[in-house]
Formats: sequence, structure tokens, C-alpha cells
Amino acid sequence: MTHFKTLGLTAALMLGTSGYALAESHAMTLEGGQATNMVLLPKFLGILVFDQANEGAQEAHAELANPGALLFVGPTPENSVAGQIEIMTTAATQGQGAVMLSNNAGDQIAPAAEAAQAAGVRVVTWDSPIPSGAGEDVFVAQVDFGSIGVVMADMAHSILGGAGEMAVLSATPDAANQNAWIAAMQETLASDPKYADISLVDIVYGDDQAEVSYNRALALVDSHPALGLIMAPTTVGIQAAAKAMQDEGMCDQVKTSGLGLPSEMVSYTMNGCAPEFALWDFRDLGYLTYYTAYGLATGQLTGEIGETFVAGRMGAFTIEEDPGRPGQKRILMGPFTVYTSANVEAAAQ
Amino acid sequence: MLDRLSPQNLRILALFVVLGLVLAFFATQVDNYFNARLFNRISASVAIMALIATAQTLVILTRNIDLSIGSVVGFTAFATGAMVAANPGISPLLLVAYAMAVGAGFGVVNGLLVAYARVPAIIVTLATMAIFRSLLVEFADGKSITSQKLPAWLTDYPNTVLFSLAGVEFRAAFMTSVVVVALVHLALTRLRPARKLYAVGSNPEAAEMAGINQRAVVFTAFVLAGALAGLGGFMFLARFGNITVVAGLGFELKSVAAAVVGGVNIFGGSGTVAGALIGAILVDLIDTSLVRWPLVSEFWREAVLGALILTAVAVDAILMRRLIAWRLRREKARNAARAAAEAQA
Repeated sequence: MTHFKTLGLTAALMLGTSGYALAESHAMTLEGGQATNMVLLPKFLGILVFDQANEGAQEAHAELANPGALLFVGPTPENSVAGQIEIMTTAATQGQGAVMLSNNAGDQIAPAAEAAQAAGVRVVTWDSPIPSGAGEDVFVAQVDFGSIGVVMADMAHSILGGAGEMAVLSATPDAANQNAWIAAMQETLASDPKYADISLVDIVYGDDQAEVSYNRALALVDSHPALGLIMAPTTVGIQAAAKAMQDEGMCDQVKTSGLGLPSEMVSYTMNGCAPEFALWDFRDLGYLTYYTAYGLATGQLTGEIGETFVAGRMGAFTIEEDPGRPGQKRILMGPFTVYTSANVEAAAQ
Repeated sequence: MLDRLSPQNLRILALFVVLGLVLAFFATQVDNYFNARLFNRISASVAIMALIATAQTLVILTRNIDLSIGSVVGFTAFATGAMVAANPGISPLLLVAYAMAVGAGFGVVNGLLVAYARVPAIIVTLATMAIFRSLLVEFADGKSITSQKLPAWLTDYPNTVLFSLAGVEFRAAFMTSVVVVALVHLALTRLRPARKLYAVGSNPEAAEMAGINQRAVVFTAFVLAGALAGLGGFMFLARFGNITVVAGLGFELKSVAAAVVGGVNIFGGSGTVAGALIGAILVDLIDTSLVRWPLVSEFWREAVLGALILTAVAVDAILMRRLIAWRLRREKARNAARAAAEAQA
């Protein structure tokens, strides 16, 4: 256990959450072996990053030797919003210990989540929170949403050489995480004179579907002849945009960047269509989310701000106020990796 | 000329008029809109929808509907991608045949249930839409097909420019689609067995009395539609390269929209695949143009698209009615003149 504590301290120092440095030395180690049934609920089934999150959750599930069941259930793609609400409602009637939700339903899921909480289910969101925070115990943020804005602005700055036009190709118009990241990037662009010569000319939505994203990317270059960069903060969008530019032979004029999976982006990074992009580890995200939800569901964590606990191999984490959503709580995972031709091939293996 | 054309050709003419109106409208609204690039965009994206709208038309002609078509496209796109990724040396023709066979297999399921188990098509295909999609989620197992896994000939094929005129490019995928649609159109208008689709759709009892095996016709329509949707899946794979479980989502409604806008009667028995092709072009044109129309926000686009489709269909219907009425009047006047002349003589 001391081993875990040391690890936790190191991680805490690395993350630089100095405000809680004192509390972290008292980081609580969660007791394994307590039975609680949990549900991991992705936006929808069949997308690689969600399966990676499930792998991480399964790893934590085995590590904590929870005799209860960990279910990975999600709606089918065409039924995402209604399906998420339905699964949340079912989880309440089944008396699950916790639901771990990557929310794709905006605030529409809040009533179902509140009802689940009233029935004793702990609701932990990950990847994408409930925007209003209603019905949510805590949000496990992959990275600081504000810092994603800075990273995207910096990638744009480096790719455009400091000046030029960029456009955003997002997922769905009501995806809470993407909207928050875009807002953070806009804020960064506006606040720092370093980005004064970069103009964000358009924001379009590809619905996280390859064909829609591909067509939207083409529409962007048609509408904005001087466009130099498409920024896609979604793994589906970035890949579709890079392919569209490659197919049309436009990679020299219009670059693609954003958030992508190394295994899917490697060829576009190597041929220069997408010179830089970023992402975090979804396995770690699932792992940390499981530790959080397990702690809450077994009553070892109360979910109060300032509470610190050790999440296995990842070290200590503290519940804090979410800077992007005042009054709501989050746990910050971080950091993320920026991929370029120097490191993408190794990561793609 | 207007009084010589058949009603179906008249309808196609009316569609071209609407197409022109839509183009003219957006040309006034969107900067650097009307150029060769627009043709290249629309033709590349219509290449897939044209096949699927053609498939949908075959089914609608027989008074049925195929709501599972988007799931079939998604599944075949994924399965074909998995196939070629596992066997990179597979011959292109074999791969196309594989895609069409997978699609036809789904068509057999739909066809058996609709034609022989006599379950209404809307219920069967609503169910199979979900079932086929779930099969895809199972089959995909969280993986996705990426263009890196595909051979170069496959990803290069759709964008290969066969010939170009002043920047207007005729690419391989679009030309393939046009040839397929033309072949189906010819078959439907010239071949006796294909005419059975119309017979069954316009009057099933009469068709039965005339010795047409109604069930076999409906079954065949679903299987052919499945095969065409499979071909659509192949084209989808070639064009987009990156296939996840959401591939082809929403194609069922787009294909119905294309067919109906293209003048295919939703109650069966009348319509042409050439019309469906133009319908597909019209829907795609409106969709693509709306994205570039700054006045319409993302949240309203779907609603505006729906309204424009309604308007297009209404204008088309009114034009058609006017033309037919005008022709009737001309014919009456001519008959009256002839009668008068005969009476004089």
C-alpha cells in the first residue's frame, strides 16, 4: 500500500495540483472486495475509444476484486439519446450501485439521472458530462477542458505558422464535451495576442459520421477559399477531414488537426495531411472512472470537494470544483499527448 | 414537344426545372457557389445515394418499403472492408461480388418475411434495420476499418477522373453509378420480367389474375435491392475508407426522400429510377447547399431541408398537374377542331 501512496504523491506532484498537495499525503486507499454492480454506459456501442475505456474499467474491476458485475451496455448508434436515457432509467430500477456515463444526451438525461440518484445509484460521468451537472455526482475529466482549448490553439498556431484561417469540424451540435472545448479554444484565441492573426471562420458539425464529416470538410474548403486548417476535436471528424483533403489533393493548402487516434491517423501524419494532433488515453480514463464510481458506490467516498483517493496504478486524485461549470465537481485525469511525425508511428503500434 | 412526352418523362422534365430553380436560388445566396467544383462535389456524393435510391425504388414500386437499407449499406461496407483487409490480394471483381452477395443475403431475409410470411414491409424492415445494425456492432467488435488497411486501388478508384471538361470532372464512382442506374432504368422500361414490378405494384390482384407470381416478384425486388445496397456499401467503403458502426445511418430515409422527390409513387406501381437519380441529386444539392448557406444555423438545417423537399415535391406536383391539364385542353381543342372539320366535310 505504501507503494501506492508513493506513486500517488509522485503523480500529484507531476500534475501540479499544488493546492491539494497537503491533502494528497492523506490520500485514501480504496478497500477492494466489496460487492457493487456497476454499468459503464458509452455514447454508443462500436467505437474504438469507448471499447478502450471498457478495457480500462475491466482492468480496475479485476484489480479491486469486486464480486459484483460490471456491465458494458450502450445504445445502438441511431438511438443514442433515447437509448442512454432508457439505460439510465433501467439502471435505477435494477438498483445498480453506479452508472458511469459518457453523456451524449445533453441535459435531456438529467431527469433520468436525478431519478437514478434518488434510487441510490451514484452517477459518475466521464468523457462528456451532463452540462448543467444535475443528476451527476462527479465528472471524471480526461483533461482540463480549458487546456484543450490552449492545445488546439497552439497546434493551429504551429500549423498555420502564426497566421491564417481555420474552421472547426465538430461532432454533434449538442455534444457537451466538444462544445466546451471549442468554447475554450475560442476564448484562448481571443485572449492572447499571439493568436491575433488566426481567424476562426466557421464551425460545422459532422455528427460523428464518416460520410457527413467528409462532406462537411469539403463544404468548408468550398466556402472558404483561403482556409488553411480544419480543426476537428473528434476522432471520427479528424480522420474524415484528413481523408477528404487527401482525396482532393488539397493537403498542401488545407491541413487537418484536432483530436485523433494514432492508429487511425498515422498515415495522414506521415504524409503531411495532419501534421499534429492530440489525444489522451481512453484506457486510463475508463480505469480512473471505475475507481471513482467504485469508491462512491461502496460508500468509501462521499463525493465532496477536497476528497482525495488513490486510483490504483494511476496514483492519487482529488475531487475539485469544475472550473468550466461553477458549482459542479470534477476529477481531472490529464495529461494528453501531442502526436507528430516524430512519435505517431510508435504510438500506432 | 410538351404534348408528345409520356407523363414519366414530363415528370423528369419538371424535376430538371426544380433543379434549375434550386441552383439559381443558392447562386444568389452563397459566394462562389455555381462552379465546376459544385458538380464534382455533388456527383461524388450522389454516386452512393443514387444506387441506394435505385434499390429503394425497386422495392417501393411493388408497394413495399425497405427501412433496413442503411443498415445493409453499413454492414456490407464494414464486411467488405474486413474482407479486403484480411485478403489484400483479392481481385476487385470478386470483392464487388462479395459485397453484393452480402447485401443480397440481407435482401433474402427481408424478402422471405415480406413476401412469404406476409408481414407488412414497414414492420419487417423496421425490425431488420435494428437487427442488421446490431449485427454490425457485434461483427465490428469495437474495431473500425481505416483507409490504411485498404489496398490503394480501392481507395483510388472513386476519385479517378475518367475525363474532364473545363474543370467538371467525371469520376469513376459517379460514372459507375450512372451506368448501373441506366441499366436498371432500361431493364425496367424494356424488359418484360421487370415490368412485373409495376404490375404487382399498381394492382396486385390483377397481376395475380394475369398469372404473375406476386410473391416471387416481391421477393426478387427485395433481393435485388439488397444486392444494389451491397454495391452501395462497396462504394461507401471505397469513398470514405473509414468505416465505423454508424456507417450508412439515416440512408433509409434519404433514399425514400430521393425516390419520392424523384416522382416514385409511395403507393407503388409508378415511377422511374432515372427520376430517383435526379431526386437523389436534388436532395444532395439542397443538403450540400444548406451547409454553405450562412442564414441557416445547424439546428435548423434539418427542418429547412424537410421544408425544401416538401416544396420541391409540391412544385413538381403542381407543374405536373398544370401540364397534364394543359395537354388535355389542347387535345380536346384539337379533337373539337377535327370533329368540326369532319362535320364540314
